[in-house]
Amino acid sequence: MTSSTISPEAAVAVPTLGTERASRIPKVLRPWLKPKIIAGGSIVALLVVMGLLAPAISPFDPNKQNLLSAMQAPQWLAGPHVLGTDHVGRDILSRIFYGARISLVIAVTVVVISGAVGVGLGAISGYFAGKIDFMIQKLVEVIWAFPPLLLAIAIMAFFGQGLGILIVALVAQRWIPYCRVARGQALSLRTRDFVDAARSLGARDGRIIVKHILPNLMQAAMVIGTFAMATAIISEASLSFLGLGVPPHIPTWGGMLADGRAYISTAWWLALFPGLCIFFTVLGINLLGDGMRDIFDPRLKRSGQGMG
Amino acid sequence: MLAYVIRRVAGTIPVIILISLLVFMLVQAAPGDPADLLLSDEATAEDVADARARWGLDQPVWVQYWKFLTAALQGDLGTSFRYADPVLTMIAERLPATIELAVVSIIIAVVIAVPLGVWAGARPNSWIDNLGSLVGLFGISMPNFWFGIMLILVMSGILNLLPSSGRDTYGIAGDPITGFYLLDSVIKGNWRGLWDGLAHIAMPAIALGTNMMGILMRVTRSSVMEVMHEEYVTTARAKGVSERAVLWHHVVRNALVPIVTVVGLELGTLLSGSIIVETVFSWPGSGQLLISAITSRDYPLITGTVLTYTMAFVIINFTVDILYAAIDPRIRFDK
Amino acid sequence: MVMSPTIGAPGLRRTFAVTVAALGMFAAVTSGHAQSRVAVGVTETISSHNPHGDSISMGYGIWCQVYGCLGTYDFEKGDYVGMLAERWEVNKDNPNEWIFHLRKGMKRHNDGKELTAEDVVHSINRMAKDPQTRQKQNVRNVTDVVALDKYTVKVVTDKPTAPLLEYLFDRVMITGKDLWAKHGARDADRKYPWGWGPYKLKELVIGQRIVLEKVKDHPDAKPQNPDVLIFRIMREPEQRVTALLNNEIQIAQFVPPHLAPRIEGSGNAAIKSTNSVELMFLAMSPKNKPWDNKQLRQAVCHAINKDAIIKAVLQGQAQRLDGPIGPGQYGYDPEATETMKIPYDPEKARQLVKQAGLSGTEVTLYTPVGRYVNDKQVTEAMIPMLNAIGLKATLATPEWATLWADVQKGKVPFYYMGRGSVVDPSVALSQYFETGGSPRIGISDPEIDKHLRAEREIFDPEARKKELNKAFAAIVEAAPACFMWRHRLLYGVSKKIEHTPTPSGRVFGVDIVVKN
Repeated sequence: MTSSTISPEAAVAVPTLGTERASRIPKVLRPWLKPKIIAGGSIVALLVVMGLLAPAISPFDPNKQNLLSAMQAPQWLAGPHVLGTDHVGRDILSRIFYGARISLVIAVTVVVISGAVGVGLGAISGYFAGKIDFMIQKLVEVIWAFPPLLLAIAIMAFFGQGLGILIVALVAQRWIPYCRVARGQALSLRTRDFVDAARSLGARDGRIIVKHILPNLMQAAMVIGTFAMATAIISEASLSFLGLGVPPHIPTWGGMLADGRAYISTAWWLALFPGLCIFFTVLGINLLGDGMRDIFDPRLKRSGQGMG
Repeated sequence: MLAYVIRRVAGTIPVIILISLLVFMLVQAAPGDPADLLLSDEATAEDVADARARWGLDQPVWVQYWKFLTAALQGDLGTSFRYADPVLTMIAERLPATIELAVVSIIIAVVIAVPLGVWAGARPNSWIDNLGSLVGLFGISMPNFWFGIMLILVMSGILNLLPSSGRDTYGIAGDPITGFYLLDSVIKGNWRGLWDGLAHIAMPAIALGTNMMGILMRVTRSSVMEVMHEEYVTTARAKGVSERAVLWHHVVRNALVPIVTVVGLELGTLLSGSIIVETVFSWPGSGQLLISAITSRDYPLITGTVLTYTMAFVIINFTVDILYAAIDPRIRFDK
Repeated sequence: MVMSPTIGAPGLRRTFAVTVAALGMFAAVTSGHAQSRVAVGVTETISSHNPHGDSISMGYGIWCQVYGCLGTYDFEKGDYVGMLAERWEVNKDNPNEWIFHLRKGMKRHNDGKELTAEDVVHSINRMAKDPQTRQKQNVRNVTDVVALDKYTVKVVTDKPTAPLLEYLFDRVMITGKDLWAKHGARDADRKYPWGWGPYKLKELVIGQRIVLEKVKDHPDAKPQNPDVLIFRIMREPEQRVTALLNNEIQIAQFVPPHLAPRIEGSGNAAIKSTNSVELMFLAMSPKNKPWDNKQLRQAVCHAINKDAIIKAVLQGQAQRLDGPIGPGQYGYDPEATETMKIPYDPEKARQLVKQAGLSGTEVTLYTPVGRYVNDKQVTEAMIPMLNAIGLKATLATPEWATLWADVQKGKVPFYYMGRGSVVDPSVALSQYFETGGSPRIGISDPEIDKHLRAEREIFDPEARKKELNKAFAAIVEAAPACFMWRHRLLYGVSKKIEHTPTPSGRVFGVDIVVKN
């Protein structure tokens, strides 16, 4: 009922799809059939499939060079190099397919790990406030003040290199934004009625955090997560240049983007296509997240107007 | 509250000492030797040994750290290996440029992102929401360097509207008063200098602000959407409060906590200097200083710069916490 | 990724348009004004007020025209020419003694004090003793400097040093003895940067720009030279090119090959090129396995198709090296170099690898990224060539400071790198290839050592060149490095001025002519 006053478009648009199919689709699946979930899901699925099937669908070996046919513009369907070739004549489409593998793995692991650490610590910090909060926030200040470049060089010096170390290097600072945002919200949530109610019913702190605080932190975390996904893919490239993580012969979107930097005005296709892939990853995840929020948001249910 | 403030201030001292120790150990442990990097290609082993002795690198790390700490407590952060200038002076010279850029880009981001985010959050799935989200996502996935170069190509190259780099045109600004060019120009009534400063700051500020605008817009939207369903909003509406008043008085105020957090975080990042944007636009700020310090392993300069940043974060986080309490009176720290 | 729509927001754009209209000064900074200005877009910054405090090529050029130096190498003449020194000679009876005769009547900026031998003595001593100098190694062989009279200086070396001018010219900046004594080292450099050069220092903003102003009554300064010369630090190539085409700058240093057509096609600027004096090479350190095997090292030199890389990756903007040095560098002899040539021959290379019993060996090629023209791209292209001769090659791209530290310690077995400022190759070759020169490659070969030692003590130019070429041949034969190419440095030069770039990368105001 509230949504009709605020957002008539949403109220009209969403049910249409629901009513059309209601009769044929099992009830459990119905909430999932929203344009956002379908669109977002297909984008993400497509990117994942691209990575998984890279060896089968790539027209060329991603590392096969041909200096004679370097920097060819996209030929679309008119030639063998659909999206053109790079500065040493490698096929961009094939590198995009293979690049999906490392880039998506990095994006997802970094976001999930740093999200879990950050939101967890943030919830604890904000919920308990006082001394615990003080300690955790001091830690945040120490880590956030570190120049990422210096941290990466130091990590590399101590632990050597590899994909795992690269992820560690990225996670080392990326949990901070989640932590700060989650803490800010938790500080406010801890004084709310429903938390007080739970506490008076004898719920323990751990249970309150898991049951009442964390679910309310998820949306903001989602937003940071999509942002972090893009930055993780892009910074992978800069860390690879430091010799940390992925060696240069393994194609990644970040690496392709960085290589293309020098050619922005002369061979735009080098940077554009990997850039688009990053954009679509972010877009797909966002659409999925938005769609799923409508299903899982506790308050949407509470106020009795979950849109599914 | 006073007790809380005192505790917070006192609490930063261990943080500063801890970070100075960490940075000190890390820079020393990092591979690469300042003597190799800073001396000429033709330097001999002797020259290298001389330089190391002059910089005190021939002593054990703990002796070096103790010397640094005692000097730092007296307000001396040492002398840069590379520039042979006092670290504190160097940072003081560079910081205004960085702060100026950070403030302008924050303003750009906030002015665009917050209204757009509130609007989108109040009307989810409307065309404005969809368009706004698309813009926001573009901002989020746009690499800084790519956007910076595109700006130069379009605004300076094709349109020939803005200068492609630097902070001012030689001979216009005159002697600095505060070190903030825009502010100085206003103080002096140097309008030509003000325009010059604005023309130079526009592109780097947009390049920096766009990313932040994306995330801020998304955070605002999600935060507003969340608050829209709170009971007090429904109640206010049921009482017959106008839609606009509900939105700006009840919703936005309650949605501010994550927004303030993100602005604080981003301001912190920006103050530590956006290395990429400062480099792309030849902006003489502290980010460029830090990157050159790291690549040449200029230990005192690295340590000094990082310490300055830590102080900035401590201050920002403190301000953010105070703002929390002002926005949401239920939030308390002093218990 | 399309440009975000917010950028074109009408409100913002209007502001900018007004801004620019109000300024109206980005165009036409050169001619037609009372004061002619030339701005140079450069990639590196001077990092210190101390004229000996940097060791970058551009810095030598800037200080040289402010303080003045004794002389410089004229690439057109192929010989040294005097600046503050009028002429010089070596004592025929004692090759350790050099005499420099100074120009008379040179007046210092601001106070008009005349240049004297005392100032030169002070400057050379300062270079050796000032703790902040990064140029000490250049006066290492100098044991004594004496002022014989007001305009004559005697320099004494510890052993005969034929390449002495390479050390002293361009590197020793002549600073005033009196200013140093009166104000102390720090303030003399910062507050009284007065010299005897044709330009004086107006402003130095580290990381942003350096501004010089012409000294109108200087004997070398001509009316057509720019009144103000600004060096603007612009690290992005796209930015230098854009600024050049907008007439924001008039000279763009180091234009990458693929951007050259944009400048040529613009009509208001042109590309001028010069061969750099930086030698690019692939180093193979015999101290590390499997590079102790000479056949393998020679095989690698046969495996790299330099011409193909120059054509495709460097867009033709490099000159292939067949020996350690190329045309224009001291001691280059085209006939002798022809005999050192190692042709591209993957078949022979494969045979050599097989004979060495090293087929299938894994090797890692290290390269810096963004330090040399297209360094990563070039080395990427080498990987398949190395694989084609039976090696298993991978590329590594460490951070520069880490890589350089390891190279200095001799811990990197196989790397792509350059050695800059090689006019007279004596110092560079000794540093890399003579026993005890440095650990960077760490080869020890009696034949190379013999010739390198001998050439330093020969003062007769022809005989010295012969000996140098014997050293070159010995180095190529032992193959501790494959010499690749010298980059052709491309400068974008506005048609409003005349300027011919030099291989040293120095930009002198007195060489620039502003057209009317």
